Amino acid sequence: NNHSQLSSLPLQILLYVNGIYYIFYFLATLAMIIYKSQVFSYPDDLLAPDLAVLFLMAILEVPRLYLGFKGNLTEAEGPLGLSLGLTVGSVVLCVYLLLWQTYVLWADVLLNAVLLSAYGLESGLKVTAIAAFVS
Amino acid sequence: VARLCVCDLLVAQCDVNCCCDPDCSAEDFSLFTTCSVPVVTGDSQLCSQKAAVYSLDVEANPPERIFKLIDQVNPSIFCIHATNYEQALYLKSPEIPTPENFDQLLDKFGGATFSAEPDSWNLDTDAQNPPDANETSRYEYGVPVQTEDAFLRLPSPVVSSWCSDANPAGFLVNQATKCIRSVSVEKCDSIQALSMLFYINSSILASVFQVNITVQSIVVQSLNGMRTLLSSSDVLRLPMVLDELCINAVLGVNYHITHTDTGEIIEAAAAFVLGAISKEALSIEQSFEISFTQENTQPVPLSGNPGYVVGLPVRAGFQPQGYPFPAAFLFAALALSSNKHSQLTILHSTSTQDCLAAQGARAPVLFGYNMISGCKLRITAAMKCQPLAQTLLDVLKGQSFPEYVASFGNSQAQDVLDWVPITQLHISEQMISHTLQGSCQIPVSLGIEVKWTKYGSLVNPQARIVNVTATITTTTLKQV
Repeated sequence: NNHSQLSSLPLQILLYVNGIYYIFYFLATLAMIIYKSQVFSYPDDLLAPDLAVLFLMAILEVPRLYLGFKGNLTEAEGPLGLSLGLTVGSVVLCVYLLLWQTYVLWADVLLNAVLLSAYGLESGLKVTAIAAFVS
Repeated sequence: VARLCVCDLLVAQCDVNCCCDPDCSAEDFSLFTTCSVPVVTGDSQLCSQKAAVYSLDVEANPPERIFKLIDQVNPSIFCIHATNYEQALYLKSPEIPTPENFDQLLDKFGGATFSAEPDSWNLDTDAQNPPDANETSRYEYGVPVQTEDAFLRLPSPVVSSWCSDANPAGFLVNQATKCIRSVSVEKCDSIQALSMLFYINSSILASVFQVNITVQSIVVQSLNGMRTLLSSSDVLRLPMVLDELCINAVLGVNYHITHTDTGEIIEAAAAFVLGAISKEALSIEQSFEISFTQENTQPVPLSGNPGYVVGLPVRAGFQPQGYPFPAAFLFAALALSSNKHSQLTILHSTSTQDCLAAQGARAPVLFGYNMISGCKLRITAAMKCQPLAQTLLDVLKGQSFPEYVASFGNSQAQDVLDWVPITQLHISEQMISHTLQGSCQIPVSLGIEVKWTKYGSLVNPQARIVNVTATITTTTLKQV
């Protein structure tokens, strides 16, 4: 009876883990930005864009994960497709924090790399899930 | 990093124990005992950076220096992997001035302070003061008074006694100068500095409009020195040659500039002294003066603006006779007479130290200066106590001891509340009751205590007199 269930289990697990990891990622990155602003010379006009990107990413993450869950569980390709679209935006912001932040610490590199790989894997699974739902 | 050497202090000479010094040869290295600078690196917070390591190999004979260029790795997880901000970790090397960037560098660094972010500062000041109005509207103390073409000139002697016309008059700087100008009677109408026009033709730039210099009065001085005030001062008198004399030559100019309390010039007037130059004279002495008065005030010499300046006399005055004291606060126009001579004065010690001879000599009390003076009086048996006491009181206090002292250096006579009353105390040296009857007290000392405080902003505090107490100490004249 497996072929009656089209929802992807790996995708579900990954989305769940992604949600937990993202909370940790957000708090860690925010703490590191605060640390950087105290230890290094971090003028306000460079601090503001970095913080803006981080908060924007957090705002995008919530609907992205929600739509991913919903789409996968209801086997509907609409929400899943929307989630995929939001993932693209999150990837762009993640790349910004990895490459174009004012100070990129080694810990930043690690966190962002893990998040990027999670996004990549998720996107792949979503595409296969959409393909399964559509067909 | 290989070229950096912190211990290389002597130029073209080998520094002792400095392993990175390029001036040292192999023989010098063999004489070193240790390396004072073992490692030269960049910022240690970077994840990976180059380091130059210097060490001495003492095993070899002779000892030699080992130089290694290695990659130093910071193992911390918070090491800086990359920065996108060039000024992050480096001290910026200063720009070398060239003719192209000199003006920009002067703007940035030419002032008393310079900020790290000049752009944000510029935005703030532009919003508050439009730059055009700021330049000429408000003058500050000492700033040259600008006119149409250049500056308001006050010719003064520079280096020698000859007049130099390039001396600008500073705002609020009252000056009086005298200088010598070389003249010749034949060309006297062509010498610019002898003509009235030279001193009044340019108008002073002040806020939006320009202030013309008006002729306040003209005094004509004859050859023997007698001065006559002309009744009509609106006629411009230019120098001309008449009977081997050059008449209407400017011998003195007295500028009077009126300004508001915010530093804007509103009026300018010049009073001239014109005279005649005889044929034999090769040079004349010209005198110039400039004085600044605030509008709606009387031109009293100020002892500070507003706080007292150390070294200037303490201004004092009286209440005019006939005004009852409570009414002083009702009639705001009540004036305290305060002329130049009604200062707070103390006895001025003379060389003879004789009190009676010193009655006329007074010295003004200068703000911030503690003063002490005294005199001696020989008392004979024939002297009566009461007139003696009165004379000594006059000697100590002076003929007109004021009742009020100005609390600020620029207090105006019409602002009654700006003046502090002088509290007068009497102390008797012998307070034993049974000596009071029958004996009169003669004053022996006057002590004036001026209490002042710093008032106003922390950045620019102003001295303000708060309390003045005059204490007369008396003693009993012992009857012989």
